[in-house]
Amino acid sequence: MKFKIDDLTVYFPYEFIYPEQYEYMLELKRALDAKGHCLLEMPTGTGKTITLLSLITSYQLKHQKMGKLIYCTRTVHEMEKVLDELRTLQAYQEKELGKEAKMMALGLSSRKNLCIHPQVSGEGSRESVDAGCRKLTASWVRAIAVDNPNVETCGFFEGYERDGANALLPQGVYTLHDLRTFGRQKGWCPYFLARHMIQFANVVVYNYQYLLDPKVSGIISREMEKECVVVFDEAHNIDNVCIEALSVNIRQQTLDGATRNLSKVTQLIEKFKTTDANRLREEYNRLVEGLAQRGNLPGTDTWLANPALPDDILRESVPGNIRRAEHFVSFLKRLVQYLKGRLQTEQVESEGPVSFLNSLQSQAGIDQKTLKFCYDRLHSLLLTLEVTDTDEFMHIQCVCDFATLVGTYTRGFSIIIEPYDERMPNVPDPVLQLSCLDASLAIKPVFERFQSVVITSGTLSPIDLYPRLLNFNPVISRSFEMSLTRDCLCPMILTRGSDQLPVSTKFDMRSDPGVVRNYGRLLLEMVGAVPDGVVCFFVSYSYMDGIVNSWNEMGILQEVMQHKLVFIETQDVVETTLALDNYRRACDCGRGAVFFSVARGKVAEGIDFDRHYGRLVIMFGVPFQFTLSRILRARLEYLRDTFQINENDFLTFDAVRQAAQCVGRVIRSKSDYGMMIFADKRYNRHDKRSKLPAWILSHLRDAHLNLSTDMSLYIAREFLRRMAQPYDKTGAGARMTLLCQADLEKMNT
Amino acid sequence: MLSVEDDGDVEAEEAGRDMEAYERAYADDRSWEDLQEDESGRLRVVDVAQQQRQHRKRVAAMAGAHIQRGIIRYLYLLVDLSRAAGEMDFRPSRMGVVANCVEAFVREFFDQNPLSHLGIITLHNGVAQCLTDLSGSPETHIRALRANLECAGDASIQNAIDLARGLLCQIPTYAHRETLLIFSALSTCDPGDILEAVRRCKDANIRCSVVGLAAEIYICKLLCEQTGGNYSVATSETHLKDLIMEHAPPPPVLAESAVASLVRMGFPQRGAEDAVALCVCHGEVKMGGGYICPCCKARVCELPTECHICGLMLVSSPHLARSYHHLFPVPHFEELEGTAMANGRESEFKLCYGCQQKLPFPGGEVSGVRLVCPRCRQHFCYDCDLYIHESLHNCPGCESISSTSSLPDLQN
Repeated sequence: MKFKIDDLTVYFPYEFIYPEQYEYMLELKRALDAKGHCLLEMPTGTGKTITLLSLITSYQLKHQKMGKLIYCTRTVHEMEKVLDELRTLQAYQEKELGKEAKMMALGLSSRKNLCIHPQVSGEGSRESVDAGCRKLTASWVRAIAVDNPNVETCGFFEGYERDGANALLPQGVYTLHDLRTFGRQKGWCPYFLARHMIQFANVVVYNYQYLLDPKVSGIISREMEKECVVVFDEAHNIDNVCIEALSVNIRQQTLDGATRNLSKVTQLIEKFKTTDANRLREEYNRLVEGLAQRGNLPGTDTWLANPALPDDILRESVPGNIRRAEHFVSFLKRLVQYLKGRLQTEQVESEGPVSFLNSLQSQAGIDQKTLKFCYDRLHSLLLTLEVTDTDEFMHIQCVCDFATLVGTYTRGFSIIIEPYDERMPNVPDPVLQLSCLDASLAIKPVFERFQSVVITSGTLSPIDLYPRLLNFNPVISRSFEMSLTRDCLCPMILTRGSDQLPVSTKFDMRSDPGVVRNYGRLLLEMVGAVPDGVVCFFVSYSYMDGIVNSWNEMGILQEVMQHKLVFIETQDVVETTLALDNYRRACDCGRGAVFFSVARGKVAEGIDFDRHYGRLVIMFGVPFQFTLSRILRARLEYLRDTFQINENDFLTFDAVRQAAQCVGRVIRSKSDYGMMIFADKRYNRHDKRSKLPAWILSHLRDAHLNLSTDMSLYIAREFLRRMAQPYDKTGAGARMTLLCQADLEKMNT
Repeated sequence: MLSVEDDGDVEAEEAGRDMEAYERAYADDRSWEDLQEDESGRLRVVDVAQQQRQHRKRVAAMAGAHIQRGIIRYLYLLVDLSRAAGEMDFRPSRMGVVANCVEAFVREFFDQNPLSHLGIITLHNGVAQCLTDLSGSPETHIRALRANLECAGDASIQNAIDLARGLLCQIPTYAHRETLLIFSALSTCDPGDILEAVRRCKDANIRCSVVGLAAEIYICKLLCEQTGGNYSVATSETHLKDLIMEHAPPPPVLAESAVASLVRMGFPQRGAEDAVALCVCHGEVKMGGGYICPCCKARVCELPTECHICGLMLVSSPHLARSYHHLFPVPHFEELEGTAMANGRESEFKLCYGCQQKLPFPGGEVSGVRLVCPRCRQHFCYDCDLYIHESLHNCPGCESISSTSSLPDLQN
């Protein structure tokens, strides 16, 4: 259908639109008009993606000056879903507009997902595919191959290079699969083709990392124009992604590896000295002139400022003491030696970057300015030395990342050295963590550079906290509710077991056998009353292990098995995938199954338990972060001092958003239905409850608070019977849930 | 209606002991406001007309348009007697309620489908057991089920439908094969691939319907969708009865299998009262009664049945006549709205043509709906409408026109 919002014609590929989608478009359009950032919360299952896509592409059609739509997703799977929606949209636009609908959309991913070279694509990890690719496509390898036919190169890359500027994709929507097929057909490398085509595309879909991780964004995203609109979908964890992008962990193995790398580099330098000393000299000269002239970057161009690489680095020349290759290597050796020394420590140490730099200066004679250049100096050196197997040099790169970050930022970071894991104090496993405490650092350049940034998810509550965490000013921040034809959500807060004693995963209560038994009884009663799939979330792996063990000893698990099969998430991805697969099969064939999973785990983030795969989700406890963790404590302190965010507020916010994320897994569309049980007495308190997203709260009736097991069982039975009755999908009378074109026109007049 | 709420109360008190009655969900729909006390102290629903309209709407939806129906049905009733059937959320237990409903259903089934056959299969301990073979006598089935009311173990839908399929495959092709599963459990423990069993049922043209007692189960829904059956879940005892009873009228025939075919039938005579003959159904000598097969002269005890000797279908003419109304039903009566009632000569019809009671009209003391037969234009009250469509299957107005066609037309 086609309709007008103010003066903008919106092309929407479906016959009907939900009222909340329309609202969402109105707000989004206001944000785009104001050229500002916005924060929008809308529950899953209401078609957020298509709403975003159809409004923004329609906006692009009207305003030619507007740049690309950059759509960031968390996983490859989500990326494919977005591209599928785009394809529907494109088909519709083409039908309505004919030739004028110029849509060029593509997904970009790592080489691992795009490579079609028969050997290289068979490699296991991302790093090894990258390295394999470089071995075949680096400029010096290809230069040698011109003379020597025995040197192997990649046929697809050669094909792409041969066609040069003519290697273009026709208009359309390309998923990763389409790109691979197209590449195979034409004999072009899909990865490089996609990277090349980004500048012509008006919709680009890729991973968060490509914008947030300074190491990657410098390569991929720096050519994006200012007028682009950036969308972060499923962005409820965006602060954590930002923090991870700027955090580095160094272990004993890393340092050992780095030492090995350095000796290899020394050998290479020696070799080059004898064979090709010129190269090294050239590099030296380049470095004198400054990094900005390295390559052919125009230094004045305002390309995406790299947070790890402040502007002054580009203009300054590299300090004299690391310009020569040998000097740089010995500098790194000193650094690695120093870090090794620090790792020897017996107790936990925690300090800020400033004091760390001080001790580095005094003990190893390394100054801050030199550190800043490490990352780029290493990069340049590896290029000069014609190193192709970059995966081998991972360790030394890691150390250089660390050095650059420490040298650049004096605020917002902390360095924590732990000699052993908290959970296993007897096993020495020293780790040096440089942890970023300020999520706004990584995302700052994105906000500064692009005209509009849209942050959206199903759970962004409380919505006023995100602007503070990410340090930006949204022009719009709104939370939308779902319009439903029937009450298909049934959240409940369970505070007591069947014996009326409170249940909680509070530290002093969690190992109490009474609580464990009450939780077990709850599960047992529920599996007897709920059909098909039931999902349980626990607060941590160790807690899950403990409680499942006790249930086993109490015989509860055996009784549960009489009703449903039990599957458990483990830290092993393959095992978990297998368990999920069998879980789905058990649900399909009517046997019924329970899945035990962990909040903050892989399953809680990315797997949907929609329809019969999840009729009930039980959240055992409040998934607080491990509050004794030093990194968390440092971050809390920082948040309190810098953004005036109360520690408790943040912890609760973080725990409740995880819980909401977990229970949100069961509802993925409006025709679906599901129950959610928050099993902890603490959820009954107002400060926790009020932080739940609005779409859950609006269904949380007063009668469903403070329940005991038998009461919730009664509610569950009644709810399931009610939901099994046939219903009218379009919604009659006052509860209008589908709008057609005529309705919208009526609303506008 | 009051009795239903009472039952609800008992149940609710069991479950949520410390929640007051007024706190519970139905407080929201303020059902008491629909009630009114009349002069003799009885409680009456205020908006009778609205309620009657809703009920008629439901009935109309079920009846559908004039469709072809299969009146020769072979139905297996699959009764779940697994552990879950012992649960007490329906009083006295799910099993007891189901047994009552099944009893009523079996009687109603043979009443509405005199040419049809029914058998019962029970599910317990993971196996399916054939309790009674296909036959036409309600008492055998009811007696057998009453004698075997014990629940244990798991239910296996696959075993049940495989068994039913095996038995139903042998019946002649003109008949309609059906199963009706009354399912208390929430899971099925199967020895093999149930999806394969569902597929085979579909291939064998067996229509599988399910009535659930607890919640919607994916596999049941799939089974019904694939085989063209009906899936419903009961919310209360009365609802359960309604849902099971919905399966008593013959189902509509799928277009592809609706080829008309001729069926050979015999109309046996009742044997002389004092004759002694060897009964073929029980294999023993019996005195008197019985029916003689017109083809092979064998003696059978009950009708309708299939002759054990020559395989001829034996029925009596009333059986056929009773099935007739499914094929040519009484047309759905139309409701006359307030305006139509008031204008002109329509208001002359003050009495119901069926029962001669006063009909409602605007401002009158009787409330409710006024209905008119589209063929004979006679007016009826709500109760007569139900009686005509559900039991009588003949419209008195239309019948009197055809019989008194020589007399001056009533309408004038």
